[in-house]
Amino acid sequence: MPKKISAMDIYKLLPKTNCKKCGYPSCMAFATKLLEKEATVDQCPILNTPKFEKNKKKIIEMISPPVKEVWFGNSEKRAVMGGDEVMYRYQLSFFNPTPIGIDISDNLSEEEIKNKAKEIENFVFERTGEKLRLDFIVIRNASKDAEKFKKAIEIVEKETKMPICLASLDPNIIKEGLKVVKSKPMIYAATKETLNDFIRVIKELKKEKDVVLVLSSNNVKELKNMSAKCLANGIEDLVLEPHTYPENIAETLDLNVMIRRSAIEREDKYLGFPILNLPINAYYYALKHECPMSGFFDDKDVVAKMFEATIADALLNRYADALIMHGTDIWELMPVLTLRQCIYTDPRKPQAVEPGLYPIGNPDENSPVILTTNFSLTFYTVTGDFEKDNVRCWLLVMDTGGKAVDVSVAGGQYNGENAKRLIEETGIAEKVNHRVIILPALAASTRGDIEDKTGWTCIVGTRDSSQVGDFLRKNWDKILNEWREKNRS
Amino acid sequence: LDWEPPIEKYKGYIREVQFGKPKSEGGRGKVVKIGGQRALYRFEDPQPNPPVVTFDIFDIPMPGLPKPIRQYFQDVMEDPCEWARKCVKDFGADMITIHHISTDPKIKDKSPKEAAKLMEDLLQAVDVPFVIGGSGNPQKDPLVLEACAEVAEGDRCLLASANLELDYKKVVDAAMKYDHNVLAWSIMDPNMARDLNRKLIEAGLDPNRIVMDPTTCALGYGIEFSINAMTRLRLSGLKGDEVVNMPMSSGTTNANGAREAWMVNKEWGPREYRLPLWEITTGITMMLCGVDLFMMLNPIAVKTLKEIGKTLTT
Ligand code: B12
Ligand code: SF4
Repeated sequence: MPKKISAMDIYKLLPKTNCKKCGYPSCMAFATKLLEKEATVDQCPILNTPKFEKNKKKIIEMISPPVKEVWFGNSEKRAVMGGDEVMYRYQLSFFNPTPIGIDISDNLSEEEIKNKAKEIENFVFERTGEKLRLDFIVIRNASKDAEKFKKAIEIVEKETKMPICLASLDPNIIKEGLKVVKSKPMIYAATKETLNDFIRVIKELKKEKDVVLVLSSNNVKELKNMSAKCLANGIEDLVLEPHTYPENIAETLDLNVMIRRSAIEREDKYLGFPILNLPINAYYYALKHECPMSGFFDDKDVVAKMFEATIADALLNRYADALIMHGTDIWELMPVLTLRQCIYTDPRKPQAVEPGLYPIGNPDENSPVILTTNFSLTFYTVTGDFEKDNVRCWLLVMDTGGKAVDVSVAGGQYNGENAKRLIEETGIAEKVNHRVIILPALAASTRGDIEDKTGWTCIVGTRDSSQVGDFLRKNWDKILNEWREKNRS
Repeated sequence: LDWEPPIEKYKGYIREVQFGKPKSEGGRGKVVKIGGQRALYRFEDPQPNPPVVTFDIFDIPMPGLPKPIRQYFQDVMEDPCEWARKCVKDFGADMITIHHISTDPKIKDKSPKEAAKLMEDLLQAVDVPFVIGGSGNPQKDPLVLEACAEVAEGDRCLLASANLELDYKKVVDAAMKYDHNVLAWSIMDPNMARDLNRKLIEAGLDPNRIVMDPTTCALGYGIEFSINAMTRLRLSGLKGDEVVNMPMSSGTTNANGAREAWMVNKEWGPREYRLPLWEITTGITMMLCGVDLFMMLNPIAVKTLKEIGKTLTT
């Protein structure tokens, strides 16, 4: 890790009372957690007293990430960008999943704006128990008319709680927008030519602390100078937009890398801000030009959305801290949101759910007992399938250290000992009047071990949990009767 | 204020691996090279070889292929040679991966000899280099690979794969005897990739004939583990670790196994669009982690990956 501070450096500034009020056993433990970004300074009450004001400030400075965390939005919903400390996620973790904003033109009718804004706010794709959503709305001044712009802002703020990005390259239009907007907006965007005017407008309205300003240039040195100028004028919430070239995306990826490397590895504080990229450019590009998918689909809109998703995916892999897109079809956003979820999962934590007994669909004493693992992906896939197919069962979720079925079979955590403990701890034996467990087909090899250790009869079920409903409808009664026959004597 | 592009100095390099041989050297013509990088990014040092796609084909019709993919190959699935030709002619395949799945005792238990016969026909059918794959059966694969390696002698194919679950020495011997490369397959852990390479080298394999496959988990099914493994391996290689400075391969086709890709589900929209996007996203992510060779299936995904890949090296 490029950061050169240690837990010891932080410890020296803490109260050193080991009073445990922060929730950690000692000041040193708290220092370690602060360094790892798993705790915040506010957790230590003593640090919040006037006596420690200076130390607190020093600690914050010490642990503040080389890429500033910047947010816009309102009291109910914020889009948070940046906050990263490392170049590669394995070195620590990436923070603040890239907010994705969708563009709305102020040329649309009132009704259309309202509907589109609602659609963006209500969009949801559920995966592994998490609701993946869109994060902000971009109101683009396509009309060049300040009145229409203001009207659109009012509609969106009235109809939704979404954070807002005001998009116009004209500082005077932005000024009008800033007069009506109620939340803290992101402003897209100041260029080299207009920066002075943007700064003037923001200062006139005394909004230096109440806006996020996007700086747009494809020249990193220029971006650096623009950011220095903003900082000198008290505008400190900045975002860098190095231009998105759909026809040669490597160009943009390079610029992203150079900015991020300058910030993290070269400690260039003028470039230590989140990066905004515009996959929406790819959408419009593909409507007019050839792109890789062009020959495969007749519908230009489909081609453009596929290309937009592809470019968004590439950018997500190289430091995009915020994205602006056009498409809102679920099939287009699914891969993008899934990739974002994957990149931003914390590699330090197992992706696990609480092990134990989960009754599914009001089971009774005759219902089947099913054994799965506590890997979140496995758990949510299985329960999702069962819900869809109206499966009634007792779901035993085994602690495999958050590993999938085949992974934990291979790694040895899916075993008889573990199953025995789970059966005892959950008291499942009192809930059913049989002793039959259904195993996933991928765990067939553990059957003997589980039967030996638990004394329950194991039946190997299907490979995929989506087939379990069918399997049970066809076989459960028979399985249960056969077991009763055998165990009557 | 001044600013210099942050260019890094790397002690190491990535080895270059060649597939195929020119006619002048007794090969069939087409030559493909991967690896050879001396830096992580093209703004630091020009990247010598663009990412390469090798099209998956199977020695028997694959009933499990989802319809949106099957539609492209329906007419050629009975004949692997036609299948290969179509991939090259219609879809611009740089290479072909033949999976001899019917050699699996549980499928058709075809003999290594029969697989080798097909291999001969395939070598006649197209002039691009081959990746030779077995069925995944650890007892049978080394025999199948050996038999195919023999008939493809001197063609610099990639034998897929050598791993710790099978008799990798046999695979290594076949590669050295008949002039081929070896795919070293390990599971998402850089240390396991290093151990495997070391064992293969100790068994007599020339390190310049290794391509690493640290396992590609599909998007949404563990891709973050692959991201970490590939990134760490590429960085170690560039930092000078000569046991892992080999080019990398990705089984990008795995993406088609993700439910979000193949499952028919009205709430998710048409799977004709989801399937290619899942493979594209998986492939592009691996590409940006340093992968050089992509085993892929969907023509849309192949074309997209190749075009984006080209921009990264020009
Ligand atoms: C991601 C992954 C990992 C990740 C782990 C992620 C995690 N938290 O589990 C990491 C990198 C850590 C990993 C490590 C290892 N892995 Co791994 N891994 C995978 C991979 C790519 C995907 C697994 C996955 O996420 N599946 C998705 C989930 C949802 O599937 P699932 O849990 O099986 O659930 C499904 C079904 O089982 C069923 N189901 C679930 N419950 C129930 C219940 C009933 C009653 C029924 C009927 C059905 C059912 O429905 C679910 C939905 O379809 C697989 C290959 C693959 N499958 O693509 C290899 C794989 C499982 N790994 C493998 C191996 C060997 C290992 C290691 C042992 C490697 C090593 N030597 O270190 C370690 C073991 C680690 C440990 N346990 O300590 C092998 C196993 C080979 C084998 N069968 O022996 C595989 C198959 C790869 C391979 N082809 O070689 N792995
Ligand atoms: S609350 Fe503050 S003083 Fe008390 S143990 Fe935690 S860090 Fe130390």
